Amino acid sequence: MFESSEHITCREVVETVTEYFEGALRNDEAELFEQHLNFCEGCDWYVDQMRTTAESVGQVREEDIPPEARERLLSAFRDWRRSE
Amino acid sequence: MAEVREHPRPASAAADEAELVARLRAGDERAFESLVERYYGAMISVARGYVKTRDVAEEVVQEAWVGVLKGIDRFEGRSSLKSWIFKILVNTALTRGGREARTVPFSSVTPEEEDEPAVTPDCFRPPGEAFAGHWNAYPGDWSSVPEERLLGRETIDVVKRAVEELPESQRPVIAMRDIAGCSAEEVCDALGVSPGNQRVLLHRARSRVRAALEEHLDV
Repeated sequence: MFESSEHITCREVVETVTEYFEGALRNDEAELFEQHLNFCEGCDWYVDQMRTTAESVGQVREEDIPPEARERLLSAFRDWRRSE
Repeated sequence: MAEVREHPRPASAAADEAELVARLRAGDERAFESLVERYYGAMISVARGYVKTRDVAEEVVQEAWVGVLKGIDRFEGRSSLKSWIFKILVNTALTRGGREARTVPFSSVTPEEEDEPAVTPDCFRPPGEAFAGHWNAYPGDWSSVPEERLLGRETIDVVKRAVEELPESQRPVIAMRDIAGCSAEEVCDALGVSPGNQRVLLHRARSRVRAALEEHLDV
């Protein structure tokens, strides 16, 4: 996956960070990835940004259900309960 | 509606769900409401990947919940309840999407998506130069951003807009993973994407949202 088997570039870190998070890198690749983070502050910050991004998307969850949609859902629920 | 097939999964996490399922079967309205509240937003985002408008997406989500209620007696708990609900949603959306004459090829990642860089190439030193492929200038240190700002309403709105503006193939993946908290397997299962494509779509989606956040936070 990486151009060199000795070290990886910042650009490669940026493109493989999700694979790293997902545990999809081979052991030797994950090791190169982590080695790079140990000496590259910029990539360490970038990886942190991606982690924060995923967490912040998780904050979107409490999207308000429009009141009419909630009513329709509850009324479908009551219809279903009656028919059971 | 097509029969939804369940896939095996580890036994953990099944206990809470079993209780919820039992309450639902018993006709407990609170149990239903709490499930709806938990997944509604993510379901809308997923549905929007298949149909043209927010209104139709709401209809699809409504129809999917009716499908969930009708099928709950047959739910055997071999896949997670969450994954089962999203599979019903996707089947409903596909049926509806067909009627709306629009299909989204989730199983294939477009060449643009395959090549789209997560960060613009001029952030890195060009090939041939010393330290080729390394940062020209470091990205920002977000740990220096106060939590009130990072988790504030304004920031969440930026994230929400960025998710809404994602390509149709990417939005359902990030919605299921990061909003609904589904596993990679659950996404592959519900959307019918390969593990490799799931990762590409998730990577592109998060990278775009990160770019929107970077601009907003301006660190």
